Amino acid sequence: MIFEERQIEKNNFSSRAIILFVIIILGLFAVLIQVFTLQISGYNDYQLAALKNKNYTVPVQALRGEIFDRNGKVLIKNEPTFDLITQPNLIDDIDSFLDEIQPVIFLSESDKLQYKKLQKGKAFANKELVLKKDLSPTEIARFNVRSFNFQNAFIAKRYRRISDYPNIFSHVLGYTSKTEDAYKSVPEIPRSHWRDAELVYAHGLIKGRTGLEETYDNHLRGSYGERVYEINAMGKLVQSLSITKPLKGSDLHTNLDLEAQKSAAKFLGNRRGAVVAIDLDSGGINVLYSSPTYSINQLSNGMNEDDFQILINDPDKPFFNRALKGRYPPASTIKPAIGMYGVSKNIVNWDFEIKDPGFFTLPETGRVFRGWRKGGHGKVNMHKAFLVSSNTYFFSLAYQADIKELSSYLTSLGFGQKVCLDCFDEDKALVPTPEWKYSIMNAGWVKGDTVNLGVGQGYLLATPMQLANYASLLAKKGAFNEPAIVKQEKVKKPLKIWQDNKFNDSDWNKLHQALLGVIESDYGTARSIRDLKKFQVAGKSGTAELVSLDSKEAYQEVRNSELLRDHSIIIVFGPMPNPKYAVSVVIENGESGGAVAGPVAIEVLKSLVNE
Amino acid sequence: MNKQIKKIYFDPYLFFSLFLLSALGLFFLFSASNADVTIVSKQFIYVFAGFVIMILVSQPDPDIFRRNSGFLLIFSLLFLGLTYLFGPEINGAQRWVRIGPFSFQSSELLKLAVPIYLSNFLFNKKLPIQRNEIFISLLIIFFCFFIVFRQPDLGTALIIACSGLFVLFLSGLSWSFMGGSLALLILSSPFIWNILLQPFQRQRIATFFNPDSDPFGASWNIIQSKVAIGSGGFFGKGFREGSQTQLNFLPETETDFIFSVIGEEFGFLGVLLLLSIYLFILLRCFYLALNARDRFCRLVIGGLSLTFAANLIINLSMVVGLLPVVGMPLPFISKGGSSLISLFFAFGIIISMSTHKKFLPQ
Repeated sequence: MIFEERQIEKNNFSSRAIILFVIIILGLFAVLIQVFTLQISGYNDYQLAALKNKNYTVPVQALRGEIFDRNGKVLIKNEPTFDLITQPNLIDDIDSFLDEIQPVIFLSESDKLQYKKLQKGKAFANKELVLKKDLSPTEIARFNVRSFNFQNAFIAKRYRRISDYPNIFSHVLGYTSKTEDAYKSVPEIPRSHWRDAELVYAHGLIKGRTGLEETYDNHLRGSYGERVYEINAMGKLVQSLSITKPLKGSDLHTNLDLEAQKSAAKFLGNRRGAVVAIDLDSGGINVLYSSPTYSINQLSNGMNEDDFQILINDPDKPFFNRALKGRYPPASTIKPAIGMYGVSKNIVNWDFEIKDPGFFTLPETGRVFRGWRKGGHGKVNMHKAFLVSSNTYFFSLAYQADIKELSSYLTSLGFGQKVCLDCFDEDKALVPTPEWKYSIMNAGWVKGDTVNLGVGQGYLLATPMQLANYASLLAKKGAFNEPAIVKQEKVKKPLKIWQDNKFNDSDWNKLHQALLGVIESDYGTARSIRDLKKFQVAGKSGTAELVSLDSKEAYQEVRNSELLRDHSIIIVFGPMPNPKYAVSVVIENGESGGAVAGPVAIEVLKSLVNE
Repeated sequence: MNKQIKKIYFDPYLFFSLFLLSALGLFFLFSASNADVTIVSKQFIYVFAGFVIMILVSQPDPDIFRRNSGFLLIFSLLFLGLTYLFGPEINGAQRWVRIGPFSFQSSELLKLAVPIYLSNFLFNKKLPIQRNEIFISLLIIFFCFFIVFRQPDLGTALIIACSGLFVLFLSGLSWSFMGGSLALLILSSPFIWNILLQPFQRQRIATFFNPDSDPFGASWNIIQSKVAIGSGGFFGKGFREGSQTQLNFLPETETDFIFSVIGEEFGFLGVLLLLSIYLFILLRCFYLALNARDRFCRLVIGGLSLTFAANLIINLSMVVGLLPVVGMPLPFISKGGSSLISLFFAFGIIISMSTHKKFLPQ
């Protein structure tokens, strides 16, 4: 009986134990299946997630390319400077460390405060921290001797963007400054990692802001490298795992000519104005100078706020790039274009003659348009009209012009549009049309407007860049290259042909003869610069009136206010008869074109032909 | 029999598999603790002490446990009450008794006392067991569960409840009664959720069902644990090479989440090996339970080994993301002396009960 009961009990126990053990084995099996799901099926995802946890990629800055002139002289380079870098995680006592290093390198109170503020965070994450930038040679020497005392600090080479000619290439080269959006260039690296970027420049992540530095930023910048750190869950850097070296930016070989640019700066002096010179073979821009200027070294490497305010508030507006953005009435320098238009539209021919009484009366209204010389120039044909710059001749020519035709003719010569291939922020200036006048002034186009256009006054506005481009087109008889600052290395671009079938080769020769006469003949308006050089030069000067006046006497009163004085303008090309360079010069409020702008143009030309 | 030389009671299968498990545990702990020799040496001392205790415990005749089971239960409860009054507070819970450099979690004793006491209480009852016997058993289980739960230590409380319920089940609780209680439990679950659970425990359960709700907060642990295990792949990353472990992305590597370390560094193969050892131990216990000399021993071996199994499975399921996070160590592997010592104690009892044979039937 007892035995039987025990047997029942035992069987009962056994079956229940089996049930529980089966449940347990099922539980273990479920765990195993889950582990299988994680480790075998989900391996790729989880492996990626683990890498994402521990890998911390930071960008490594690349050195920017350097910029050279056409003879290989360096215009902007990367100059090494030396910074003192510390490893705050290795410093036990910040105050005593600063006291110790104080006699070795000079530290201001604000340097120290700034350092103390940042060091904790950097120490926590095992990151480096700059203690002082741009050490002097003495500081470097002193530190090197004592470096064994400072195992937690070292000197690192960092670069600055430096030009040896910081003031004469300001506008064309431009400057760099700190950028906040460098992260956009490498989308794989999360934005928050950029504050730990490994820097090559003392001023951090920089990019071109103006000039070539901006236009060719992609080319100069190179590409960021990547360093992968291993970090732990606290965000501490544990070790460097790998590095992809950055690619240095490409150098930029420009058409700029150091000596000619120097001449432009020297002879323009502190006057407001601009000089542009173009190499006729290549279309290369040899000189692009705007005055006054500023130091790109200061701007690229940290200019203090006061100096910056002075520049910004300077009434001469040094930041304004007059060569590309200055809008000036071209004045008499437009006359060759008007003459070409007249010939090609059969309004005049080279023999057409008028009597110049010194003024032109508009038949419709009786309005009088005066020439620059009281009493006029007597009998004037086109050749003489260029030489003596007869206003009356071109007034009467323009009087017969159709304004729409004339506007598009001027546009085809590069006016009213951007002409430079790679200039920073070039202005289009303005070729007026009746539609333009109506939309801006709500007034109709009148014949007098066209007549004024004939001598480059009125609404027509051009930049020094456009004037130089126009001069090169005249010099090359219509077959010219689009101007560019940087050498177009690969294929030599075919010449751009400006075509006007009605203006043939003999017309071109006559035009060149006339423009040569402007400077080289005894009657030329710009003969005063004839003896400044040994080669022959063709050109056309102009004096842009800022106020419309009836007489010379009235102008004498206006002269007293400098900013109302005429702008002095000239375009030249030479040496003749096979011109190699074209130059335009504008000097604001410089008055007589030939006598004031002329010498600057000649000096630049001389530098270019190495005289 | 009187001529018998002093015999050492010893089960080679359990002894060697536990030895292997403990050795592996020290090895894993070395990696999980970032090669902290102090931690590993301390754990080594625990393991050594554990083996000594296991061997000592397995020598006397198991009747000693039966006779002293009441005393054991009362002592455990007193001990627990003592810590409740005087113990240091660690992580907001009073669970520890400090003896020199070693601290002991007082609730561990209950894991042994409850199943042994209930086995003693039930082993000579007629089948099927009567209602008032069930009632008394449940009262004891619930009382023990509740005081540990209030510490608060849900993990240990659950294990204690399991240990008691296993014995009750094995001793022949009727199926209809179980069905009824299950229904009652489901009905009362809103009450448990709202009144009994601490806010952080509710949070853990909530994040378990929706881990993406708070990836950097409450569910951080479980996400990182899954990443660690998953990134181990088939062969693992190698000893001390697990980035999740070594760079501290994985929390609690030495204790609750040590299985994730094994998964990360030794891969699916390592997991398979480890689970095989556990399975072997469980099967051996199962065998011993079925062949035990009497009902009391059967119940105790069954109860203790099932408690061990529950402990194991709850830890594993939690770490791989099958259960919400409850604090529970991986038996024989996780750092910590208390659970290790009590486990060795339990296995000492198991060995004692399976090796001492009765020569005369009752």
